[in-house]
Amino acid sequence: MINLTINGKQIEVEDGTTVLNAARQNDIKIPTLCDHKNLTPYGGCRLCVVEVKGMRVPIASCTLPASNGMVIETETDSLKKSRNIILSLLFSERNHFCPFCQVSGGDCELQNAAYDEHMTHWQMQPQWTNFPVDTSHSRFILDNNRCILCRRCIRACAEMSGNFTLGVEERGSATIVVADTNVPLGESTCVSCGSCVQVCPTGALIDRSSAYLGHDKNMTVTRSVCRGCSLGCGIMIHTRDNRIVKITGDYENKNAGTLCETGRYKTLDEKRTRLTTPMKRVAGQLTATSWDDALTILASNLTSNKNSIAALASTRLTVESMAAFKSLFADGLGNDVVTSIEEGRPTALQAKYAEANGESIEGKLDTLRTADCVLVIGADLSETHEVASFYIKRNMPKGTRLIVVDPSENGMDDLANINLKPKAGTDEAVFDAIEAAVIKEGLARTDAKTSKVSLDVALSACGLAEEDVIAVAHMLAEAVAPVIVYGKGVSAFGGEAVMDAMVRVAKLTGASDSERRGILSVKGEANSLAAAQLKMDVPFDVKNRKVAYLAVGDDFVSKRLVKALDDIPYVIVQASYESALTERADLVLPVSIWAEEAGHALNTEGRVQFAEAALTGPEGVRSNLDLLNEVAKLLNVKLNDDWRTALTARTSVVEIEM
Amino acid sequence: MTKPKISSDWMAGCSGCHMSLLDIDERLLEIAELADIRATPITDLKEPDESGVDVGILEGGINNSSNEEVAHRMRERSKILVAFGDCAVFGGVPALRNMCGTQEALQRAYVDIESNDESGKIPNDPELAVMSNVRALHEVVDVDLHVPGCPPDPDVIYYVLKELAQGRMPEMKDENLHWH
Amino acid sequence: MTQKITIEPVTRIEGHAKVTIHMKDDGSVEHAYLHINEFRGFEKFCEGRPYFEMPSITPRICGICPVSHHLAAAKAADALQGSPAPRPANLLRELMHMGQVIQSNGMHFFELSGPDLLLGFDADPALRNVIGLAHAAPEIALKAVGLRRFGQEIIRTLGGRRIHPNFAVAGGVNKALQASERESILTGIEANLETAKMGVSIMKDWAQRNMEDINKFAVLKSGYMSIVNPDNSLNLYDGDIRLVDRTGKQLEKFPGSDYLENIAEHVENWSYLKFPYYKKMGFPEGVYRVGPLGRMNAVDSISTPVAGEEHRIFKTLNNGDPIGQTLYFHYARMIEVIFCIERVVELLDDPDILSTDILNTRKDYKGEGVGILEAPRGTLIHHYQADETGKLTKVNLIVATGHNNWAMTEAVDSVAKTYIVGGEVKEGMLNRVEAAVRAHDPCLSCSTHAVGQMPIQIEMLDPDGQVVKTISRN
Repeated sequence: MINLTINGKQIEVEDGTTVLNAARQNDIKIPTLCDHKNLTPYGGCRLCVVEVKGMRVPIASCTLPASNGMVIETETDSLKKSRNIILSLLFSERNHFCPFCQVSGGDCELQNAAYDEHMTHWQMQPQWTNFPVDTSHSRFILDNNRCILCRRCIRACAEMSGNFTLGVEERGSATIVVADTNVPLGESTCVSCGSCVQVCPTGALIDRSSAYLGHDKNMTVTRSVCRGCSLGCGIMIHTRDNRIVKITGDYENKNAGTLCETGRYKTLDEKRTRLTTPMKRVAGQLTATSWDDALTILASNLTSNKNSIAALASTRLTVESMAAFKSLFADGLGNDVVTSIEEGRPTALQAKYAEANGESIEGKLDTLRTADCVLVIGADLSETHEVASFYIKRNMPKGTRLIVVDPSENGMDDLANINLKPKAGTDEAVFDAIEAAVIKEGLARTDAKTSKVSLDVALSACGLAEEDVIAVAHMLAEAVAPVIVYGKGVSAFGGEAVMDAMVRVAKLTGASDSERRGILSVKGEANSLAAAQLKMDVPFDVKNRKVAYLAVGDDFVSKRLVKALDDIPYVIVQASYESALTERADLVLPVSIWAEEAGHALNTEGRVQFAEAALTGPEGVRSNLDLLNEVAKLLNVKLNDDWRTALTARTSVVEIEM
Repeated sequence: MTKPKISSDWMAGCSGCHMSLLDIDERLLEIAELADIRATPITDLKEPDESGVDVGILEGGINNSSNEEVAHRMRERSKILVAFGDCAVFGGVPALRNMCGTQEALQRAYVDIESNDESGKIPNDPELAVMSNVRALHEVVDVDLHVPGCPPDPDVIYYVLKELAQGRMPEMKDENLHWH
Repeated sequence: MTQKITIEPVTRIEGHAKVTIHMKDDGSVEHAYLHINEFRGFEKFCEGRPYFEMPSITPRICGICPVSHHLAAAKAADALQGSPAPRPANLLRELMHMGQVIQSNGMHFFELSGPDLLLGFDADPALRNVIGLAHAAPEIALKAVGLRRFGQEIIRTLGGRRIHPNFAVAGGVNKALQASERESILTGIEANLETAKMGVSIMKDWAQRNMEDINKFAVLKSGYMSIVNPDNSLNLYDGDIRLVDRTGKQLEKFPGSDYLENIAEHVENWSYLKFPYYKKMGFPEGVYRVGPLGRMNAVDSISTPVAGEEHRIFKTLNNGDPIGQTLYFHYARMIEVIFCIERVVELLDDPDILSTDILNTRKDYKGEGVGILEAPRGTLIHHYQADETGKLTKVNLIVATGHNNWAMTEAVDSVAKTYIVGGEVKEGMLNRVEAAVRAHDPCLSCSTHAVGQMPIQIEMLDPDGQVVKTISRN
């Protein structure tokens, strides 16, 4: 512990605490600009300078470690003058036009800092030289006239998404934030995660989609969970008058504010037509009808065909809805084809494995976030689960190594330290080869002496070069915290044997042991794991079925799925948007979208999270859960609403945290 | 005790600050009781009293020769000179012209623009002011009080006028200080 | 040898104007010029900004009618990005616009020109202002303040503040109207409608008592322009632009996007304000007037009951000919306030007014857009061109008062010649010259997209250039 004095107050803090944080922990406010609670301190803006007894000049408190006996003053007249000059210099360096800037009037940290110092004017006027305005990016604009060079954007691009697109060029007053080697943002390596926009303290980085739609004080903010993939990143949904204005990352969730383009922006790109009234097919045409009529038709249809239903639900639905769906169609009406839109492809393999072995072999995402070596197989993370790729990328400059195993092109190929391109469908042989290499090189962490398959045989089967596999063996086994990440590529095509091989490699390399589970799978969409736990992971086999019931919610539906319904006599769809599926349907029931329905989500690492509803759906629309409950009532089925027990009925591949 | 005299004028602004002053609604009459309102753009006296006024208020920055004369004259004749609104305090939106250039702006407006006919040329009659770069008031004369805002809120203006009319300098902070 | 009288500045207008009156030897007026002495350059310095910032930048052209620019900019941005605003958004934008016209026209009538009408052109200059009016006619003054507040509060309710609000955006608006806010606006209708009617009545009385002035004070012949509905009734928010000639016959009716085919601008060396005119007739034959007088002449009818009847009466003033008397601008101005108040009720009663379907985020990017509006002072045109990333490459603004430039210069010349005779120049005469400008309720910041100010002093010089008389206003 460290003891120091700030403004005459004696305080005690942990070793390694900065003076700035020491002050914060004791309710002493020191103004800052370049500092950000989620980014490493930079010490560039100089606004947080404090007087330290015995030191010649004021020191930036954000980068000053507290030490014993330090005596700090934060509110002397001289410091107040300094802050005024510092802010004035910041303003005069560029061209700040408060009147028409999108964040002016409450949301600009620079302006608010000026107000806090009671600044009424600038001591120095700007030179009015033109700084570039980069409008090349489709999601946001970089106006260098408003930039204070705090480098938060650069740090966010490095520490949140690990993309390292942003940097600075030149020096002194010519310093400027640039993308890559100073190319337009729209032509750069930027992946549109929006982390830079989220952290920018001024109007230098402006979201096109939320510009001028209101200030923070006009917004209602709802804590929720992203439904873009199975990672379940925490999000804050900003709404005004029942419209989502923007989505930002939740700093208090495990993703610590990081989001990808899918979670932050793509939701707002919605172009489909919303369904607001039930429809039934009459003489070949879909016509609007009342809920009463639609439900009567539905009840009669399902009652007459109650054992001949093929039922499918989207994994974007809440856990409650999925559990009710399962309870209704499988338990209640006794059908065996009750599945999710994923049909078990990203999850069935490992779910069966866990059940058969009674073991949760997978770890939490924290394991990935702290890994110093990651092997990714059967997954293109940057395409499907982008934030997982961020967790890897941002640690690579600190020494984290990446091995990518993918027979085809993978979005992380260029970053990988080692690229393995085996023959397609040979995942088991790849693991066998690594196992053999680890043992051959004497790197095994267990006392295993022989591999299941010899190195030559394994290499021949998967078509990899020996030196590459040996290098992988070293990289994994010599790492302190290695992790194997696998995805649908393994789950959809592999058998139990590949799981066995993976687990052996994990144990041999120290990825998994008694204290650690160094295996993760990214699975599929939002409630992919829930589908697995509810055993909604079988193929959607519609042969000889009389009715298909598809609760797709706001999900997208493939052509293949629509085609599969060709010979079904009657198709009932509960959906939010018009699609080829609703065009095919005989009965269409309009339901809520993800943001309109509160409920739980079970992410890929087994965490159950509650997502609040942020919007009210249009009139005429029901929530997925309400509709399913109503259908159950009409069919005299008593639903089991204990979804918590339902989720833990079978051993999960990753421990479920309620 | 005679009432303090207040005079105002506007330069390279948009008149929004004066309109915000009118937005103090009936409170204008209260101010008129406390102070003697002399020349302003909306009263018919044409210039601040030669004998001087207690408070001179200027909206707008300086972007031509005539603004410069107005600024100097108000400074000479005022005990306290107030820079009123973002244009006077900082340069404001009109200062965007500094970034493209005065001649370029004149050329675009009077010669190049799509709706101009063949008579298009930059006016230069001696009756007209000569354009210059855009400056904040304090770049041209000494300023005693800055009241930023675009425009300043009517409540802020009411507070400022009331204080000045009673011989006090207003405290520009908290809800009385905004630049937007 | 001609002498020159200079009036500097013209007060109780928005913006900077200067008048020079060139005298003949016999003491009559040779010619009077209106010099608009300001220029800022929005059409150039907005280049390089993203187009969707214009609803926030362009209101800074003018603090009296920022809403005009705010809405015209949003409409131009809608067109540029190919996102037509949903119907509820257009209703709400029109509601804000009505608030603006009410406050601006009302303020001009009572607080800017009112002192001339209610206290007299020749009243003591020290008292001939809104405060003097408040002392002389407190009830009228209070009602006037109330009328302005009513309009301003509509703007503040929707856009967060009275001046330079944040409400209209490309594709719609950013806030829906709450039921309680709607109720609150409705409570102000009755009293303010009475105030507006009182204004019309005051003007009618004044006209009766001053018929000689009405018929000799800058009675001009010109075309007239307004935005209209398909049936040629008045629409201040949207529609086609209609131009009628000096007999009232329609010359053109065109969508805003075709403005360049119909309107050109002439430049004179002695004014920073350009002179728009009807291209096909050339300059100055093709000049026309806008604003209240222009609109009352260019439209066939007004759709709301009280204003509609007032308009019908107004149209009979010259036995069916267009109304060319400049002083009738004031009468027309107050009829419009009645229309706007009635229109506010229509809008608030529309079933879509509380809807949250207020923003169209789908884009079909065009890269060019024109937004038009009838600002309080006349037809306003915003025209933007942007590159494929949305950065503005060209901006053209033809702003309301600008169309009236010819009319104002003519009026100044006419009034100077009518009232300054025999070489004696009384202060009241000069005030009348200023009143000729004032009647147009010019917004010179708007029209030159700039502002400047000058003091007034009048010197009378004898043929040898010696000062014989100095009149200044203080």
